[in-house]
Amino acid sequence: MEALTVFILVISFFLLIGIGTPVAWSIAISSLLTLLINLSSLAALTTIAQRMATGLDSFTLLAIPFFILSGQLMTHGGIAERLIRFAKSLIGTLPGGLALINIISATMMGAIAGSAMASASAIGGILGPEMEKEGYDKEYGAAVNITSSTIGLVIPPSNILIVYSLASGGVSIAALFLAGYLPGMLTCFFLMLVASIWAKRKGYPISQRSSIKEIFSSLISALPSLFLLFIVIGGIVAGFFTATEASAIAVLYTLILGVIYKQIKFKNLSKIFLESSKTSAIVLLLIACSMSMSWVMSYENIPQNLSDFLVGISDNKIIILLMINLILLFVGIFMDMTPAVLIFTPIFLPVVKSIGIDPIQFGIIMVVNLCIGLCTPPVGSVLFVGIGVAKTSIEKVIKPLLPLFIAMILALGLITYFPQITLWLPEKFGF
Amino acid sequence: MKKIRVKVNKIIEGFLVLILGGMVINVIWQVFTRFFTSNPSAFTNELARYLMIWLGVLGAAYISGKNEHVKINFFAQKFNESIQKFINRFVLFSIISFALFVMFIGGIHLVFITTKLEQYSPSLQIPIALVYSIIPISGLLIIFYKVTQKKS
Repeated sequence: MEALTVFILVISFFLLIGIGTPVAWSIAISSLLTLLINLSSLAALTTIAQRMATGLDSFTLLAIPFFILSGQLMTHGGIAERLIRFAKSLIGTLPGGLALINIISATMMGAIAGSAMASASAIGGILGPEMEKEGYDKEYGAAVNITSSTIGLVIPPSNILIVYSLASGGVSIAALFLAGYLPGMLTCFFLMLVASIWAKRKGYPISQRSSIKEIFSSLISALPSLFLLFIVIGGIVAGFFTATEASAIAVLYTLILGVIYKQIKFKNLSKIFLESSKTSAIVLLLIACSMSMSWVMSYENIPQNLSDFLVGISDNKIIILLMINLILLFVGIFMDMTPAVLIFTPIFLPVVKSIGIDPIQFGIIMVVNLCIGLCTPPVGSVLFVGIGVAKTSIEKVIKPLLPLFIAMILALGLITYFPQITLWLPEKFGF
Repeated sequence: MKKIRVKVNKIIEGFLVLILGGMVINVIWQVFTRFFTSNPSAFTNELARYLMIWLGVLGAAYISGKNEHVKINFFAQKFNESIQKFINRFVLFSIISFALFVMFIGGIHLVFITTKLEQYSPSLQIPIALVYSIIPISGLLIIFYKVTQKKS
């Protein structure tokens, strides 16, 4: 009976997703089919409908549409240009200057806007043509832009860490946010290293050195944008407000900034709100459906059984973490990040807890791991945005992507096996 | 038919903008009252959550109409045209069935149960059935969008 439920869940899900059913509906329909084995049909239908609604009934989740909205306000508010100018003045003189500028700006943009897709399109859209003009391969530029845009998901504020907090049954968002900084910077550093070596071998040009005055003026113009991070993260860590309240403040702040910069007018405001509602609805439906699947799975005792199975294979910490990472890499290729976190956290968290891994560290491992899936075909959403703005194709971008993947996997390995990288900063703040 | 779709879209768009705006104002008001007055507002938390349920479920219908939900076309494109046509029909059929059975029938049943049990929200005292009523509404909207969708 149990094997049958797992079988129906997995097979119907992959079948539906494989033939091109939207991911959210695939998740919901396969959950329904599984539930129909054990419940009468009206009860099953009602339960799924109810689980979808109650899955969204959470004050914590409100931070997600709000950070999406503030990200949209920034994209329209002229913030990306200011960040790029600042990054340029700092590191333009290193080998592969523009590529490194792309990585740094994408990291900052991803962190502030909280969306890898927004970062990939905003930064890639500005820097892509510039790189081409200076003689960079289009594909190389796209690959750098795609991979670096995901780093912002680990660096706070991060919607996916909020989702993890929810799925893990309440790991502190403030602690997760603090924990994301060093792993994010580590990944950023590794990507820069690979990009720099590649650029040196290809003999890409180096930008001119900036004067102190230029650095200073670009810092001043980027400062109000960077100050937002200080308000949001500082406010959350100090306990002034919750992540949700901070995200609402971020909306207010970016709105005021956009008005001061004269980039946001009342006319395009409703368009920005509609755009954000759409992006939010896509994420919220994924959450609603994943929550119903997660409920069905725990109703059928599936997480418990899978956990027991995993622990039964080995009790070696290194091997279990390796297995979980490999499974997640595979999952990430086919599944979007949000449902992956909501569905797999209840399965893996008890396992890693039993071998002494801190839930905070596991959240970061999961997100860094699933970031790689965002850049791989056939599903990788960031990959598609990245090749879209660069006007190239998947086949061409694969080759320059490979060394960058290796850098990301290396960073993932270090983050997995050296808990200090993740836990040092939150511990300093008393978590 | 196209005209009606455009009109329905416009109405939903207006609702979505209002809902998101309402959510933001709610939470900002909550922060404001907590910092600057002695009695922080209690109902804002609840209202913002219910508005988000509406945003997610109504938005899901709207995105369905626009065909913008995340999906993987990679494998289906490998088949020849007649199989692709069949697959597309099957996908459409699955979505319509889900909207009909779970969202419409299951949703109506849910609204019916919560009405009968007289469930009210703890702080605003609005019927829970009202919150859930967006599910059958969106179910109908999805069916409308999918049935009137141009065959591609």
